[in-house]
Amino acid sequence: MLIAFVAPSIVLLLLINLYPTIYAASESVRNGTLATVGRFIGFANYSSIFSSSAFWKAAEFTVIFSVVGVFGSWLAGLGIALLLRDRVAVPSVFKVLLLLPWIVPVVVSATSWNWLVATPESPLPQLAHFLGFHNALFLANPTLAKITVCVFKVWISFPFMMMMMSAALTSVDKNVYEAAQIDGASRWQTLRRLTLPLIARSTYISWILMTIFCVNDFPTIFLLTGGGPVGATTSLVVLAYQTVFEDLQTGTGISIAFIMTIALVLVSVFLYRQIRKVNIAE
Amino acid sequence: MSTADTLVQAPAGTRDRTLDRTGAVRIQPPRRRISWMRTGVMILITAIVLVPIGGVVGLSLRPALGSNSNAAITFANFVNMFSQTQVLTWLRNSLGVTLVTVLVSVAVAAPAGYVLSRGRNRLVSSYSLMLFIVQSLPVVTAVIPLFILFAKIGLVDNLLGITIIYVGSTMSVSIWMMAAYYDSIPVSLEEAAWMDGCSVFGSFSRIVLRNSLPGLLSTAIFAFLLAWNDYLVALVFLRSSSNFTFAVGLESFFQQNSTNWGLVMAVAVLMMLPPIIIFAVLNRYFSIGGLGGALAGR
Repeated sequence: MLIAFVAPSIVLLLLINLYPTIYAASESVRNGTLATVGRFIGFANYSSIFSSSAFWKAAEFTVIFSVVGVFGSWLAGLGIALLLRDRVAVPSVFKVLLLLPWIVPVVVSATSWNWLVATPESPLPQLAHFLGFHNALFLANPTLAKITVCVFKVWISFPFMMMMMSAALTSVDKNVYEAAQIDGASRWQTLRRLTLPLIARSTYISWILMTIFCVNDFPTIFLLTGGGPVGATTSLVVLAYQTVFEDLQTGTGISIAFIMTIALVLVSVFLYRQIRKVNIAE
Repeated sequence: MSTADTLVQAPAGTRDRTLDRTGAVRIQPPRRRISWMRTGVMILITAIVLVPIGGVVGLSLRPALGSNSNAAITFANFVNMFSQTQVLTWLRNSLGVTLVTVLVSVAVAAPAGYVLSRGRNRLVSSYSLMLFIVQSLPVVTAVIPLFILFAKIGLVDNLLGITIIYVGSTMSVSIWMMAAYYDSIPVSLEEAAWMDGCSVFGSFSRIVLRNSLPGLLSTAIFAFLLAWNDYLVALVFLRSSSNFTFAVGLESFFQQNSTNWGLVMAVAVLMMLPPIIIFAVLNRYFSIGGLGGALAGR
């Protein structure tokens, strides 16, 4: 009877998510375009992808971007949540202000970061120049561009982690800290042996969600660097987009997206089971 | 500062000694004392984090390129943007798309979340797993086939088309958020209603929904942010500038006028105002903390 409650959501999910995935699977073994359905060509798309260096470069950057995005934003978010937990004046004001990077549309923040770093006359390169680092071209040097994009992602994402960690920390019973204090635990020991295990489940879930957000992220990278310089910051999502909509190689682009999809689904089903285990263990 | 204060504060380094000296177990009251050091660190962190956003506001108030005004602050950019850009069209399109997304996704997620919260059987578990898998599917994988499909039925370069996609992409998280909120409402209320002969639909609409305003608002805020802030879907699907939402409008304007920072940033300020206002007003309702429980507790 309750099927009526879930039916609309299932229809939407089938149309917006499942249908495209199946279509992508069938299109990945054809040589179609955006306008025509192509011929069956077997695994030619896949073999050309796996032998292309651009794909492996993009896969590598996707991993770097996600690892830095997840752990960078977690460390920043947890650190701030811990700082805000006690003895700070007006913590709620800080919390709201620090949410801004997450709330502000990424188009706006990317525009702003462009102003901050893009040209040699921008404020940050000027600051670097003043500090003795000449010609710090944040978006033109491949390594610096990678770092800049990762920092931008951490800047956008840490408020999400701060919210998750703050919520987890408030549910921790204060008495355990008094007990630890009485036993003479140091601050580091308290954090390492008490706080972190007590918020382990939330931490784990926030890592999983953030991994999905990072791997799937398009605008953060595309708006800041467009995937450049010379493809240094091209992630798999950006590569799939460019292959389909700029190079007009629909089959290849869809195959890239489909490989990502398979990898993500496998990883997330595995992680989903893990969460449930953590849940039972607690 | 008196000795009593120092004892109560008991900084980490001195704790062992104080304990040895007193020798007894001291249960301390929660320390509400404000540390100006910590507050100072927080002010510094917040200031650094907010530089890019402050920059947007600051630049929008600066005189435009080539104008001979020497004023430190001017609102000329905000006046000019209405004549020099299609900002009103973008605003109207974005507001329409976002409001419809919010209404539909809340209407669909509210009952679905109820099943996720109260249901305890295999079907509900597989539904929950399906939501999780769907959430992990890359948007870009969905966008390419949908573009081909929507091209056939005239939904490319159409605001209805992107609205459907937005509603679809809010689904998983919206349903989790609603379920997380329902989890906090005791089942006994509904059970009492059932005893009195109320149907499941009746108890849901009369008891559960009526007590779920914070959950509904939280979900609405999430859907609002997703639709208002999206760039990828709008970039792929919207072709003519009269259909642009704010995200693609601002980006295309920025590409053409990247040196006229004042005007670009004035448009940017207008684009970030609605989400900020909504958060400022409804912040206390927004919670993603329960998300973990909703995800894991099935």
